[in-house]
Amino acid sequence: MKKNRAMINAFLAPAVLAYLVVFLYPTLRTIVMSFFKVESVTDSVSKWKFFGLGNFKTIFSSELFITSLKNIGNIWLIGGISVMVLALLFAVILTSGIKFKSFYRSAIYLPNVVSAVAMGTMWINYIYNTDFGLLNRILAFFGQGNKKVLWLGPDRIFWSMLVAYCFGMVGYHMLIFMAGIERIPQDYYEAATIEGANIWDRFIKITLPLLKGVTRSNIVIWTVTTVGFFVWGQIFSPVNLSAGTAAPMNYMYELVFGSSSSVTVRDSGAGAAIGVLMTLIVVTVFFATTFIVRNDDSEM
Amino acid sequence: MVKSVTGGTKTYKKHLKLAPGYIIVSIWVIFTFILIGWVILASFSTTREIFDGQMLKFSTGFHFENYVKAWKTNKVSVYFLNSVLYTIVSCSIIVCIAAPASYVLARFRFKGNNLLQNMFVSALGIPAIMIIMPIFSVVSKLELTNNRWLLIFLYICINVPFTTFFLHPFFKNLPKSFEEAAAIDGCSPIKTFWVIMLPLVQPGIITVTIFNFITIWNEYFMALIFANDNKLRPVAVGLYSMVQSMRYTGDWAGMFAAVVIVFLPTFILYIFLSEKIIAGVTGGAIKG
Repeated sequence: MKKNRAMINAFLAPAVLAYLVVFLYPTLRTIVMSFFKVESVTDSVSKWKFFGLGNFKTIFSSELFITSLKNIGNIWLIGGISVMVLALLFAVILTSGIKFKSFYRSAIYLPNVVSAVAMGTMWINYIYNTDFGLLNRILAFFGQGNKKVLWLGPDRIFWSMLVAYCFGMVGYHMLIFMAGIERIPQDYYEAATIEGANIWDRFIKITLPLLKGVTRSNIVIWTVTTVGFFVWGQIFSPVNLSAGTAAPMNYMYELVFGSSSSVTVRDSGAGAAIGVLMTLIVVTVFFATTFIVRNDDSEM
Repeated sequence: MVKSVTGGTKTYKKHLKLAPGYIIVSIWVIFTFILIGWVILASFSTTREIFDGQMLKFSTGFHFENYVKAWKTNKVSVYFLNSVLYTIVSCSIIVCIAAPASYVLARFRFKGNNLLQNMFVSALGIPAIMIIMPIFSVVSKLELTNNRWLLIFLYICINVPFTTFFLHPFFKNLPKSFEEAAAIDGCSPIKTFWVIMLPLVQPGIITVTIFNFITIWNEYFMALIFANDNKLRPVAVGLYSMVQSMRYTGDWAGMFAAVVIVFLPTFILYIFLSEKIIAGVTGGAIKG
C-alpha cells in the first residue's frame, strides 16, 4: 500500500503541477487583481492599489464594453438558438436511417477542424466579397447585380460575422445531439409507432424530453465558447476594435496588451474584472442548467 | 442487392419519406464543399482571373507558383514548421503527463481523488482571459517571452486537464484482473502501468492526441500574445498577419494558397481519421 501511495503521488504530480501553474494560481491572482487598480500587467504587487469594485464600475461605464457585452449576448442567444435548432434538425435527419450517414456527418463537422483564421478568411474574401463573392453572384443571378451589397459594411458586419461563426459550430453540436439520440432505446419509438404516433409526435414526446441532459451539455459548451469569442472578432475587424465585432475578450486584449488606437488607456485591473465577469457567466450557466436538469425526473 | 429484391418498394417508400431530410443536409454539405472547393481552386488561379470571374476556366493554366511564393517569400514555411514542432512536442508530452494521472484517478481509491477529478474538469470551463494576465506577468518577469519552449510548455499545461478527463473512462473500463495477474507475476505497479495498462488504452490515446493536435494546430490566442516574433509564429497567427498584408498588396491568389497550406494538415488528418475524431467529440462532451 505504501508503494502504491508513492506511485500515486508520482503519477499525479506533473498533472497537478500543470494545473496549479496554468489554472489555479492565475485564476486566483486574476480574482484578486480585479479588486485593485493595476496599470500594466507586469506591475509587481507592491504597485497595486486597492480599488474595491472600482474596476467593475470602470468597465460598465465604458460604452465599447457594453457594446461588446451586447454582441456576445446576441451571439449567445440568437446564434445559440440558430445553432441548436440546426444542429438538432441535422441530428434527427442523420439518425432517421438515411444512407451515407457517416459521409454527411463528417462533411457537416468538417468546418470545425479547420483553423478559425482560415475559415474566417474564406468567408470574408470569398462569400462576402463585394466584387466576386458568392452572395453577390447569387444576387446578380436573380437580377439584383447592379446593387453591390457591402456585406462587411458597419451595419451588416455583426450579422455577417455571426452567420460565418455559427456555420462552423453547427457540426460540433450536431455530433453531441446525435450521440444523445443514439442512446435512446429503439423500442420506445417502435412502441410509439404501434400506438399510432407520427414522426412529429415521436420527436416531441420521446426525443426532446430524453435529450435534456445532452441539451444541457450543449448549452454549457456553447456558453464557454461564446465567452471565449475572440478570433472571429479580430479577423472581421483586423485594424481597430469596431462596435460591430468586438467581444469582451477583444476589448480586454486591447486594454491589457493592445496596439489599437480605439483603446488608449492601459488598465489591467479592468481587464481582470472582465475576466472575472466572464467566468461568473460560465459558472452561473453551469449551475443554472444543472439545477434545471436535476429538478426534472424524466432524465435518463 | 438481396434486400432490394425482397423489399424494394418498401425501402423506396422509406427513402421517399426521408427526401426532405436528404435535401436539407445535402444543401448544407454542398455549400461547405463550394466554400472550401472554391478557395482551393482560387489558390491555383491568378488574382486577375479571380476578379474577372474567369477563374474556373484556368485559361492560363494552373498556377502552382502561388504556393511556391506563399511557402518561400511569405514565410509560410517558417510558420508551418513552427506549428509542426509545437504540436508534435506538446502532444507527446501531454500524453506522458495525463495518462499516468488519469490511470491513478481511475483505478485507485485515495483521499482527494474526487476533488482532483472535479478540479481537472473545472479547467475546461475557465476562459483564457481569466488566466492570461498572471501568466504573462510571470513570463515577462522571467524574461521568457518570445521563447518556443514557453509556448510548448503552455500548450502542454492547458491541455493536460482535458486529456486526463478524456482518458478516465478508458482506464476505468479495464478489468481489474490485469493488475492482479501482473502483481502475482511480480510486476511492479509502475511497470504494470507502462507495459500492460497503457497499451490497452491505445484507442483512447490516439483519439485524444488527434484532438489535441487539431486544438494546438489551430490555437490562436496564446500564440498571439507569446509569439510576437515572426520567426516563432505558428500557422494561425502567421496566416492572420499574412492575410492582412496580402490584402494590401492585392495578392489574392497567394492569400488563398496560404489559407490552403494552413488548413491542409488538419484537413488530410480529418479525411483519414474522421470517425476517430467524431468519436472523440462525443466521448469527451457527453459526460461534461
